[in-house]
Amino acid sequence: MTASATTNISVTNTRTKPSRSMWQHTFHVITHDKLSCIALLVVIFYFVLALLTFMGVIAGNWGAEIGPAYSPPSAQYIFGTDIFGRSVFLKMIKGAETAVAIGLVTSIISLIIGTILGAVAGYFGGIVDEVIVWFYTTFSSIPFFMLLIAIAFIMGKGTTTVFISLGVTSWVGLCRIVRGEVMKHKDREYSQAASALGAGHYRKIFKHILPNISHVLIINFSQTFESAIKSEVILSYLGLGVQGRPSWGTMIDDSKLELARGVWWQLAAATLAMFLIVLAFNILGDALRDALDPKLKGK
Amino acid sequence: MKMRNILLVLTLVAASVLTGCAKKQDASERVLNIVSPAEIKGFDPAMADDLYSGREIAKIYESLLAYHWLKVPYELIPNLAEAMPEISKDGITYTFKIKKGVVFQDDAAFSNGKGREIEAADFVYSLKRLADAKTTANGWWVLDGKLVGLNEWRDKYAKLPTTNYDEEVAGLKAIDKYTLQFKLAKPFPQFLYTLAMGFTSVVSKEVVAKYGQEFINHPVGTGPYILPKFDQGKRIVYTKNPTFREKFYPSDASPEYKDLLTDAGKRLPLVDKLIVNVIVESQPGWLKFNKGEIDYYSIPKDNFATAVKDNKLSAELSGKGIDLMISPMLDLTYTGFNYENKLFHNIKLRRAMSLAFDEKKSNQLFYNNTSFYAQGAIPPGIAGQNKDFKNPYKGFDLVAAKKMLSEAGYPEGKGLPEIIYDIPDSTTSRQMGEYFQKQMEQIGIKIKVSASPWPEFQAKLKKRDVQMFGAAWGADYPDAENFLQLFYGPNSSPGSNSTNYNEPAFNKQFEVATKMQDSPVRTGLYEKMNKTLAEDVVVIFNMHRQAYTVRHGWLRNYHNSDLNNDIYQYLNVDTAKKEELLKKF
Repeated sequence: MTASATTNISVTNTRTKPSRSMWQHTFHVITHDKLSCIALLVVIFYFVLALLTFMGVIAGNWGAEIGPAYSPPSAQYIFGTDIFGRSVFLKMIKGAETAVAIGLVTSIISLIIGTILGAVAGYFGGIVDEVIVWFYTTFSSIPFFMLLIAIAFIMGKGTTTVFISLGVTSWVGLCRIVRGEVMKHKDREYSQAASALGAGHYRKIFKHILPNISHVLIINFSQTFESAIKSEVILSYLGLGVQGRPSWGTMIDDSKLELARGVWWQLAAATLAMFLIVLAFNILGDALRDALDPKLKGK
Repeated sequence: MKMRNILLVLTLVAASVLTGCAKKQDASERVLNIVSPAEIKGFDPAMADDLYSGREIAKIYESLLAYHWLKVPYELIPNLAEAMPEISKDGITYTFKIKKGVVFQDDAAFSNGKGREIEAADFVYSLKRLADAKTTANGWWVLDGKLVGLNEWRDKYAKLPTTNYDEEVAGLKAIDKYTLQFKLAKPFPQFLYTLAMGFTSVVSKEVVAKYGQEFINHPVGTGPYILPKFDQGKRIVYTKNPTFREKFYPSDASPEYKDLLTDAGKRLPLVDKLIVNVIVESQPGWLKFNKGEIDYYSIPKDNFATAVKDNKLSAELSGKGIDLMISPMLDLTYTGFNYENKLFHNIKLRRAMSLAFDEKKSNQLFYNNTSFYAQGAIPPGIAGQNKDFKNPYKGFDLVAAKKMLSEAGYPEGKGLPEIIYDIPDSTTSRQMGEYFQKQMEQIGIKIKVSASPWPEFQAKLKKRDVQMFGAAWGADYPDAENFLQLFYGPNSSPGSNSTNYNEPAFNKQFEVATKMQDSPVRTGLYEKMNKTLAEDVVVIFNMHRQAYTVRHGWLRNYHNSDLNNDIYQYLNVDTAKKEELLKKF
């Protein structure tokens, strides 16, 4: 009894200010670093833009003909016009919707597959682990783009195909990491305590272990998001991507031919838009890792 | 500032590295450098049903007849035949004498590796091979129903494990070593054209037997060039066939080609080596042409504005000794409906769509205003095309289109389902699809564009698995029949009639016309049929295109041709001029 009383006293003494939760800490790190702060703002800006175009508030009339074909950038046509006299600027903005949608859905799909498989493999070990490891090793030995193209061929073309094909090809990295983390955590005290209290496997994995490795998921989510945007652009460039609506990839595909006639503005607009969001996501991803990874904490 | 400087230095370094690496061309070699804008399907004449494969096999294989290189309109001349055939009065029996002393190219398949002389029996074998169901030839349609007993022979052996090539077919006989006789099932005046097509080339049974499945990669013919190495992909190198017979450059020409007679009487082929670069994308091809690494090229649409002004070549290009050649092509581009789908049986809907399509703008966007507007199926330059006929349902008229659409029962597109429009998947095709979508949107018709790779697109057409599609047809021979058959019911998919249009009245007229010899009456009938197709808006007729080809000053004897696939033996390279002109590059 005496011992416990002493501990209580010492705790109140050292608590000069309340300790921050993981999220508060992250928020603090990001807002106190100018660069990551800007990156966050850029990402938020793109999300808002995507939401607004999705609701049709802006760029709803991207398909309208606003001037002659291939007008160069000017005060009237900010980024010039394309082959049908449509505004490249509006296409670029509408392309953000495609990019964000694809980034979001792909990352969610890959998050779900990667986390569940990784957690199950790491937690149960043994034959389950071997099967899953075998599966993802085989899976990742198939060249990424070949697999993507194959899926796109089988499913036909369209936005759904891009969602699914990118989602199911980008979970391996996450799965590996989650597996390792879960292995590490499953024998920790808190996990054993949960077992002692009678928690089942399901509860242990999802209620106890996963929240403790959520930082890994967050970091990975931002990385997948960014690479999904890049992959969509490449798929669309190859003619396998989204159909019937603007995407940065199809804009670049158009410019492949148009550059010969000196039409550079579609390429410039699409790459600029892509450059900004990919860069912002990279910086943000770094900042998140710095903030969330316990090994880097306090450095 | 620093960033910019570094970039500048980087570009300079890159530029010098690139020029350092560029190989200097050896201008003294007599080599022809050409481009194939599509992948080659292989070297089996029975399989070469696309233009690009057809051009490759024609370097190695030959048929009985060929087109005269320097004559317009196209004139058939004997090639492996000694002379044009004797045709019986009823137009049923064709008797050919074949040239003596023509030998197959040397190959290990023959005894001692020496190519043997060709005989009439080789033609019988080659055509039977085309007909054999086990060959699964793409070119069977050219003989289907044409020769007495051939269809029966094909059907008889289709289900049996082996085909007996020795069984005689009444319509296809070798009378003696050098005499070949065809008996037609019914008169078919276009039959001779068939014998100039690549499908009917002569192949050797020893070679087919030796290589089996690999025959498609192992061509042995009688033609001017051989393929010394068989595992070639993006760069196909042919060399002169040392045992090629004595064949000479023509000494007579139509007035249009009088200036191409410099090499008259010289022994063919004129160059020693032929390099075919498979370049699918137009930009690298164009850059290579501009560096002088390719002898002729057709101008890509996006380079057109800088290369050509008022139908004249830019000063920069003509300064390098480059010539521009403009010639109409025997082709038709069209937007097809699949008549398996009842929706398109509504003629007013078809007319409305045709009226809503702005062909002028399409010409400007995709063809640099160089194409002719198709009024019907038959292109200019072929008997049956009436110059004065104007398709009443063409030409952009939104008001009329909207009216027609409401008469069709879909005012402002209401009640009309979304229509899927299928196209191949290149960048330009996609743009064309988007353009069609925009055009139809103007009258309220919703179109969904679906792009697939070329082989898949063709498979979809063959399976009738499309609603609307964009396609083009290039002539196989200079006869309107070749275009009208696109809408002949019995030719429906998997035949060439991808629309599956099947109108008994039209079919009957077609059957009558195909049996007639060339005459004003037949031309009149062709015109009438063409008009019926136009008024029925059987498809949305788009364009007859023109070829804009540029050629280097050192390339001799070249002209555009839709039908001569065997042009390469006639081309020549002026090595002295090449050396001199290359200094300007």
